[in-house]
Amino acid sequence: MKRRITLAAALALALAGPVHAADVYKIGAAVGLTGYAATTDRGWRDGLQLAADYLNGKGGIDGHKVELVVEDNKSDPQQAVVAYQKMMSNDHVQIFASGCVSAGNFAAAGAVARAKIPMVLCSILPRRENEIHWAFSFLPPPIYELQTRMAYLKDNTQIRKVGILNDPSPYAMLMAKLAETAAKQYGIQVVAHETYQQDDSDMSVQVGRINAAGAGAIIKIGIGGSTVTIAKNVKQLGLKDMLLLSGLDDAAPYVQAGEVLGDHFMFAATAVQIPSAVTDAEAKAALDAFLTRWKAKYGDRDGSAASRAWDAMMVIDKAVTLAKSTDGPKVRDALEEITHYQGAAALYEFSPKQHNGVVKNPFVMGEVKDGALVQVK
Amino acid sequence: MKSSLTMTLPDTTSTRSGLPWRQILLGVLAVAIVVYSFTANGYVVTVIGFAAIYALFCTGLNFFMGFTGQASFGQNAFAALGGYGSAILTADYSVEPAVALVLTMGFSGLVALIVGYPTLRLRGHYLAMATFALGLITYEISINWTDLTQGYMGYSGIPPLGIGPYYADSPKAQLAVIFVLLALGVIAAARLKNSRFGRACRAIAGSELAAGALGIPVARYKLISFVIAAVYASAAGSLFAHFVGFISPEVFGTAMVVQSFTMLYLGGIGTIAGPLIGAVVVSMLPEVMRGLKDFQTVGYLLLLLAILIYAPRGLHGLLERILPDREG
Repeated sequence: MKRRITLAAALALALAGPVHAADVYKIGAAVGLTGYAATTDRGWRDGLQLAADYLNGKGGIDGHKVELVVEDNKSDPQQAVVAYQKMMSNDHVQIFASGCVSAGNFAAAGAVARAKIPMVLCSILPRRENEIHWAFSFLPPPIYELQTRMAYLKDNTQIRKVGILNDPSPYAMLMAKLAETAAKQYGIQVVAHETYQQDDSDMSVQVGRINAAGAGAIIKIGIGGSTVTIAKNVKQLGLKDMLLLSGLDDAAPYVQAGEVLGDHFMFAATAVQIPSAVTDAEAKAALDAFLTRWKAKYGDRDGSAASRAWDAMMVIDKAVTLAKSTDGPKVRDALEEITHYQGAAALYEFSPKQHNGVVKNPFVMGEVKDGALVQVK
Repeated sequence: MKSSLTMTLPDTTSTRSGLPWRQILLGVLAVAIVVYSFTANGYVVTVIGFAAIYALFCTGLNFFMGFTGQASFGQNAFAALGGYGSAILTADYSVEPAVALVLTMGFSGLVALIVGYPTLRLRGHYLAMATFALGLITYEISINWTDLTQGYMGYSGIPPLGIGPYYADSPKAQLAVIFVLLALGVIAAARLKNSRFGRACRAIAGSELAAGALGIPVARYKLISFVIAAVYASAAGSLFAHFVGFISPEVFGTAMVVQSFTMLYLGGIGTIAGPLIGAVVVSMLPEVMRGLKDFQTVGYLLLLLAILIYAPRGLHGLLERILPDREG
């Protein structure tokens, strides 16, 4: 008897499988949970999960329960190709919301486009026309963040010579090249360009060289504790007039660096890092919707990457609702119709010709006051 | 009366008898993998495709490290030459992919000849360091010479392998081409291993001084072995570029060296089948362990460690112990 019940239950489950599958909307995410992109991509993954839980609490996306399939691409293009293929072939994901490893997303973009699956990305867009057709970026163009720093120097200081100090991660290298372009735009000269390894415990040599080249500010590019190390080195070398301008990083190292250098340390901040800088009512409401839930689950942890992931999920929700379908090509078309979507991290404007959603610089200059991040006045 | 000398002579009349079970088992496994890959989905095709490309890379590396007994930590440099060479020639200059593959193999061989001539005068740790530097230099060039390599942005739009009107335009067709090239590579390696040159290389691996005393031109043979390994690495790099359609510097970074060494030692260095076994096992293991999520790498490394402890001569060595060659 027991055996019969078990068999009947197994049969019922097997039959129920496909019905359940049809009610689920599978969102795949290839993210760098290990490797150089881990800090950002773990935030992106947690933002996706937060949004998935929120949407499921509201009844899912257009009546479909959201199921998130997350695979670690180890911040490596080859691993990313395998992860994408696994999610397409085995998990049958219907859309991708992948992390910030650009090379990984580029490597898989061709196969994803052939499978007609839309992809929303934390990274920049792939470059081939047929791949861009299926990809939508939620990353503010990298130059925005650098322009914020250069604009501050031009408008608020006499400093016209800077030194760039970056780590050798792919994104930092890309940003370092863009920093030279941004500097030129604001009439600032890059007089030194130094690099460091993420695990270096002292960068006084690089800081010394930048100072010797006549730079009045260090444009620091890279994430992690290196910002604090550089701040300490600037202080140890007695460079009282040197400014340290950072970006891309978490709130935790910003606070520590600020405690070392005081008002000589500044950074390009996201809306999540300094919510008080957001004055527009619509933007404030969107930010609060994310921050309330983020803080409830993660406390004071920096939610910059997570806020973009949250926005990506909300835009997917909007697109599926608009398309009245979970079919890949229809959702892709609907994504192009989403204009003026105010998210937690930025305002997004998509169109058939505009797949980079962020078209307005969302960064503000921040500093540390009494252990908190505030906007530079 | 039997002299004591005759007792120490090797038995030259012994012949193998019975079926070569080990070879049969490996053959059946190889056929099973090929058949399975053509009936499986895109995910499996991708994993097996990468395994086959690495198998080709390791077969070449095995020639230099296994048969000739030298150390090279820089074969990724030649894979990068192959990958970027094929990418640039096919995407920018519309050269036929098959022609680009052959051209880059030739170019890599030439570079190996030029670089290897002074480098291979070094021995042991010094040779290892020099080859490691070669890999690092190539990696830095691939990052910083952005006009040529497009740096971290990577090279996309690389067509699949083919010639004239015939293109391997589906992943399975590409896998078939990779299998054919791998088979050719393995057959060539097996023939070379048992040739006069191969035996000389093995003598060098045993003792360079003794090999020199026997009249073997040690420096020249080491150089040829290095060039052969470079040509294989270049072919693997080109195949990667055509298989994925995209390359970036990370593909040919230090991780490639670590990965190929793991494959070589896990499979069984100095054997023909070892690199193939290693490439398949090392490529498959992380996928088998994917369900462990955050503990995937830990599980994978623990299993690797266990294999290396219980099979110090690699999986092929373990097979040899279980299924030894029978002698009458």
